[in-house]
Amino acid sequence: MSAVASPASQAASGARARTINRIVIYGLLGLFAIFYLMPLFVMLVTSFKTMDEIQNGNMLSLPHEPTFAPWIKAWSEVCSGLTCVGMKGYFWNSIKMVVPAVLISTLLGALNGYVLTKWRFRGHTLVFAMMLFACFIPFQSVLLPMATILGSLGRFGVTLQNATGFNFGLGNSTVNLVFVHVVYGLGFTTLFFRNYYEAFPTELVKAAQVDGASFFQIFRRIMLPNSLPIIVVTVIYQFTNIWNDFLFASAYAGSGDVMPMTVALNNVVNTSTGVVEYNVNMAAAMIAALPTLIVYVVAGRYFVRGLMAGAVKG
Amino acid sequence: MAFLEIDGLKKRFGNVEILKGIDVELEKGGFLVLVGPSGCGKSTLLNTIAGLEQITEGEIRVDGRAINDLHPSKRDIAMVFQSYALYPNMTVAGNIAFGMEMRGVPAAERQAAIDKVAKILQIGHLLNRKPSQLSGGQRQRVAMGRALVRDPKLFLFDEPLSNLDAKLRVDMRIEIKRLHATTGTTIVYVTHDQIEAMTLATKIAVMRDGEVQQFGTPAEIYNNPTNIFVADFMGSPAMNLIPAKIDANGSGLSVVLDREARQPIVLPMPGAPTGLAAFKDKPVIFGVRPEALTDPEGAERNGSNIATADCHIEVVEPAGSDTFAVTNLGGKGVVARLRADANIQPGTSTPLAFNLSKAVFFDPATEKRIL
Repeated sequence: MSAVASPASQAASGARARTINRIVIYGLLGLFAIFYLMPLFVMLVTSFKTMDEIQNGNMLSLPHEPTFAPWIKAWSEVCSGLTCVGMKGYFWNSIKMVVPAVLISTLLGALNGYVLTKWRFRGHTLVFAMMLFACFIPFQSVLLPMATILGSLGRFGVTLQNATGFNFGLGNSTVNLVFVHVVYGLGFTTLFFRNYYEAFPTELVKAAQVDGASFFQIFRRIMLPNSLPIIVVTVIYQFTNIWNDFLFASAYAGSGDVMPMTVALNNVVNTSTGVVEYNVNMAAAMIAALPTLIVYVVAGRYFVRGLMAGAVKG
Repeated sequence: MAFLEIDGLKKRFGNVEILKGIDVELEKGGFLVLVGPSGCGKSTLLNTIAGLEQITEGEIRVDGRAINDLHPSKRDIAMVFQSYALYPNMTVAGNIAFGMEMRGVPAAERQAAIDKVAKILQIGHLLNRKPSQLSGGQRQRVAMGRALVRDPKLFLFDEPLSNLDAKLRVDMRIEIKRLHATTGTTIVYVTHDQIEAMTLATKIAVMRDGEVQQFGTPAEIYNNPTNIFVADFMGSPAMNLIPAKIDANGSGLSVVLDREARQPIVLPMPGAPTGLAAFKDKPVIFGVRPEALTDPEGAERNGSNIATADCHIEVVEPAGSDTFAVTNLGGKGVVARLRADANIQPGTSTPLAFNLSKAVFFDPATEKRIL
């Protein structure tokens, strides 16, 4: 080859380099994806196998005789501790906790973001900084103080019960968990919405003011309808965190039939009587993970988009 | 009594005074343009009229009623924003009707009002679209429709044309002027573009650093600027502001303009302003607009005081409708506006006619007009 490469050979070597680059990049990405998906795959195939096949077969092989029995057992028969009624009750416990907690914390975060960007008051940066601080508090450090507060609320609930015949949900474990998750989610939801609304054109708010819309009318008619990406981000984030939370759940609703899914799953897997039914355990774990998976699949593309939108300006 | 009166309006942010005592008034059906460079406080002034910003001192009255403590929605005003501020989640019809909806106007009445405005602005075919599906000019029209439909006492426009391309801007400018002529509304309009100010206004307030530099009709502002800032800001190309000296000889005053390596030009000033006598042998700023400095054939035939002098032409800029020639007087480039077909070559000397009845003088120390 001469010292000065001809344009054609340069182009050819350039194309070859690109192809090699591509192979390396996609190869690595594929490898990581396989590595990451392996546990899910094992869980999924195991949950459809019989115990015989699990004990005698290969962990990675596909089930020879696929069966839904482990799923049915996990849903309605499996023992969590001493009660053997399946996961379904705990699944609904989690739903009853996660839906209000996500909705309330998202709505309050949106309201906070709206006020912190469009209705600025003296010291708004300080307030925002303090709310951000909530994101960095380790949850372990608030377990005991929160238990004290929840205890007082419970006693207040009893007083109300005696006085009015209704306790307004105070002292109820699910209500307690909703309260805790709303309080500790607020820092994050406020952060998300504040950054999103920071880039939101203030002229729209001014125009609505001139049009005669009130504080809440502007929020409901102008801000919320234009916040879909960040609402999706916040809902996914909050849903995943609250659904998967084990610490608060086990601390404040760790026994009896009020347990959320995560605690119940732990009890199922840790039951030490008899043979360990891996297929049932795997099916139970899959049931516990399904809602977050579905939320990601349905709304995942908004998640990335919304995170980017918040990241560009804020 | 004027329709809109702004009295001694001051606005402070902490210790910084943004508006330093504004006094402006506008008759009913007038078109007031607030013009000035960015940061002069013109948008802040508009926002205080709208009620989107609070004032520190002074009073704003519309139709004899003080409005400065009222909520924006209670002031009976409508505003067109620079970014149009159309609600992205609503259709065009929804945008136009939003204000009425907030005021509890019945649906049938709203629909009638939408149809009427859509007809005026020719946006009937767009009513079911979202703002994202509209072009810049259409958005502009919808924004005006949203203001028009309210039939308010006062319209506020905040740089409404600055987001449009040059050609569309001219079209929309004419449209706004036509709208003003047909509907007879009272308008306050903010812009940094002096051509918009000249073409649209019945009254102009030229602002700088939170103060009104001059308030008057477009002709007053253009022909009789009160200071160097106004003279320089209004008009394109800008007024030539030439350092000069006043000389007195037997018959009267004359203006002396220095030139590089040549005899100075001496222009006799028979109708000079009386204040000019005090500046004998002192430096002044001699202001002459490019159209008052032209080829002798193109000069106004009936100009009362025209003087001609040979000038060395450095640059020639043919602009199609006119030809601009740049010469050097008093150490500054001076632009003359000639006829399009003027036969002129750079690097040559040619006689230029000074229309001295249109000339103005400024005191270089105070920058104020010498009267």
